[in-house]
Amino acid sequence: MSHGPADAPRSIGTSLAPDVDGARRTIPRRALLRGLGAVTGAVSLVAVARRTLGAQETPAANFAPMEQGAYRPTLRDPKPGATPQLSEAERDALEHRIKCQCGCILDIYTCRTTDFTCQVSPAMHRDVMRLIAGGYDAEEILDAFVSTYGEVALTAPKKEGFNWAGYLAPGVAMATGAVALTLLLRKWSREARATAAARAPSGVAAAALPGVSADELARLDRALRDES
Amino acid sequence: MILVGELSLWIALLMCAWSVTLSFAGGVTRRPELVASGERGLYAGVGFVVLASAGLWTALLTSDFSLRYVASFTSANLPTIYKISAFWGGQAGSLLFWCLVLGGYAALATWSNRGRNRELMPWVTGTNAAVLLFFVMATALASNPFERLDWVPADGRGLNPQLQNPAMAIHPPLLYLGYVATAIPFAFAIAALVTRRLDAEWLGAVRRWSLVSWVFLTLGIVMGMWWAYVELGWGGYWMWDPVENASLLPWLTGTAFLHSIMIQEKRGMLRKWNVTLVVGTFLLSILGTFITRSGVIQSVHSFAQSAIGAWFAAFFVLALLATIALVSTRLRDLEAQAQLEAMISREAAFLYNNLVLVGIAFSVLWGTLFPILSEAVRGTKITVGESFFNAVNVPLGLLLLALTGIGPLIAWRKASVENIRRQFAGPAAFGLLVGAALLVLGIRKLSPIVAWTLAGFVAGTIIQEFWKGVGARRKMYDESVPRAFARLVARNRRRYGGYIVHAGIVILFAAFAGMAFKKEYDLTLKAGESATVVDPYGTRWTFTSEGLSEFKALNRDVLTLALRPEVDGVRLPLITSEKRQHRDSRGAPTFQPSTEVGVLSQQRQDVYVVLAGAIREDAEVRINFNPLVVWVWNGGLLMAIGGLIVMWPAADRRRRQVGYVAELEPQAVGAAS
Repeated sequence: MSHGPADAPRSIGTSLAPDVDGARRTIPRRALLRGLGAVTGAVSLVAVARRTLGAQETPAANFAPMEQGAYRPTLRDPKPGATPQLSEAERDALEHRIKCQCGCILDIYTCRTTDFTCQVSPAMHRDVMRLIAGGYDAEEILDAFVSTYGEVALTAPKKEGFNWAGYLAPGVAMATGAVALTLLLRKWSREARATAAARAPSGVAAAALPGVSADELARLDRALRDES
Repeated sequence: MILVGELSLWIALLMCAWSVTLSFAGGVTRRPELVASGERGLYAGVGFVVLASAGLWTALLTSDFSLRYVASFTSANLPTIYKISAFWGGQAGSLLFWCLVLGGYAALATWSNRGRNRELMPWVTGTNAAVLLFFVMATALASNPFERLDWVPADGRGLNPQLQNPAMAIHPPLLYLGYVATAIPFAFAIAALVTRRLDAEWLGAVRRWSLVSWVFLTLGIVMGMWWAYVELGWGGYWMWDPVENASLLPWLTGTAFLHSIMIQEKRGMLRKWNVTLVVGTFLLSILGTFITRSGVIQSVHSFAQSAIGAWFAAFFVLALLATIALVSTRLRDLEAQAQLEAMISREAAFLYNNLVLVGIAFSVLWGTLFPILSEAVRGTKITVGESFFNAVNVPLGLLLLALTGIGPLIAWRKASVENIRRQFAGPAAFGLLVGAALLVLGIRKLSPIVAWTLAGFVAGTIIQEFWKGVGARRKMYDESVPRAFARLVARNRRRYGGYIVHAGIVILFAAFAGMAFKKEYDLTLKAGESATVVDPYGTRWTFTSEGLSEFKALNRDVLTLALRPEVDGVRLPLITSEKRQHRDSRGAPTFQPSTEVGVLSQQRQDVYVVLAGAIREDAEVRINFNPLVVWVWNGGLLMAIGGLIVMWPAADRRRRQVGYVAELEPQAVGAAS
């Protein structure tokens, strides 16, 4: 970073503030023009950006209406001699894994038991009930919803394909970080030992200080290195 | 006043631009008069931001519906408290509020450093003014709260019912106070990088600001959890919503910094890392705002979305590039002699603590952004919800809890085997005792057992530290236990305030683990009907419906259900849950019906009642038993109290500062530096 010359001309320009000794100082005209240019440029840039980015938000953003038309039937023919394979508790657990498509961020169990104004989660719940009655197990029901809505029907991505990156990246990052940190700490530790060995008072060094024993030097060294 | 406010916003923009230009020019040329002018420009800019804010508040309180913002977010019959809080209820107002907070902080940082850090201050002021300039610019040009409508409506649309909650009058300001405070350490980091003064000097200046940010973020996050719990009605307080995650990210990196700064203070190590954490924390605040404002990710905070996200994305990239450029040209200045006497030392424990905190931050960010990545790579939309975040973050959280206990038990520099044995014996035994007790009580769920065992261990470390400290004071000064405790904390606020924060963390984790045992019931009740259910502790509760009733309130129609709970023949207070249809002053409905939950809060659990709906006389109701929830709020509050103790200035330091400032002229100091 270059610092401007301390003896830059100050006689031309705008007086701004009293100096330490009370004298008035001025800004060089060039600096003033540069500053004004920067301000004008910034304002123009933003004006252009504003035009590019479009008009101000509409207040409709405040309302975030639910998409009640988002429901699509998820139907399967009942299996021959179908008997329900899920208990009520298992059904509720399954519904916690299926996301309501009304635009909220809740699963269908939570949505349908929280707010009766949503018509999507009760409809999806009825599909779950029909599929259970049709003899389908939890994984088959999840697959049925995925085939209807896509993977967005699940509250968490399936552990397959690219989704593994989602699940594994944090663990891999942590493991890599732990290994790197351990290696770094070992390096620092080795360097500290090497420095300590180099600093340790030798017989020669002790002899070089008349009247100071090696033991005293070692204690002094320890004292200096210890934190206060 | 409204017109004054509107004009003030534009003048503030010019003043900020002036301050940026003059401050940086003063920094480059080392001319104190430019620096002083830059500082005065900042003060003036802040003054005009205050006027603009006063103008908007005036418009809100007087229901001036000629302003689009006022018409969009208030109605004539909105209670006054929510007219005030509507300031941050919408996009444009919350941006102006951000300017107000940032301006206040920037002015305070400049004023409190008028006799200190003079080498750094031109760059600090310039950077603060630049950030403020961005926000004022975004407010004035992209989302102006003073924009007028072509016609004046008879009434406004009202405030989103979810925001008509006392917590929403407090939660956003607290969060903003936390988010925005990260800008000040960022400004100091930029100043230190520019001036190459990367020693401990700038760290001293930023530590307290980082604590301010941390305390407010803690309070803001906990208050947000409380709002979500009582307002959204799904029965929990944390859903890993993108905006919740956005507030957690700077908190995590800020916490990491508050630990790693100790290593630089004591050992002079980690210069690069600390600069990275300070800058990263600020950038994560901006990223969080981008996530909140852009609507790129679906969120419960959808009321706050708009195209302003592009502005934040641009600012984020610009700030990131500027920082990378500065750091890369100053790598040599950031070199520090890093030496570690032993692998088992407090320094090493703190670094592993940093690794876990940053690792959690990464995993939260990764999970938040993964849907975008998935769509970009595969073209497939996915949802990353609670189960994903819990799967990844619960183990990391437990590891962090363990390190919270391990760190303080290990000596600085080098821990001997004897030291470790002596320090760990008590807390480890206490933790194991807790774990064994849980098994004896028949608890078999792994995560809560591990969490409570570790919580017991960490609680053991905290008790041990206080026990030793209080014991030592009692011996030395013959003090009573309360007096010894109070003086112990007062004399070493950083250490014992930190332990109080840790105690809050223990309580928080223990409370989180309690939710593993929550129970839910769906009931349909007519007036006078009863249902009996069992809570997680095995106690039988009988709920009797007192019936549905309808009434009109100030700005809404209300359908309410009253439930009478009874345990072992003892009648408890009524729990009421409501369905609300908000209306404007002419009676027209505004927004969709909303739910107000009823909560009976006890030490052991919350009984959480949601009136899901009513079909004729039948009330459809969900009852949740949520164990230990009240301890989430208590734990969060304790953490904030601990943070306040840590950052409270020592008495002798306050005296010294006053004398120092009184003796020296700021400009003289600036000139001298």
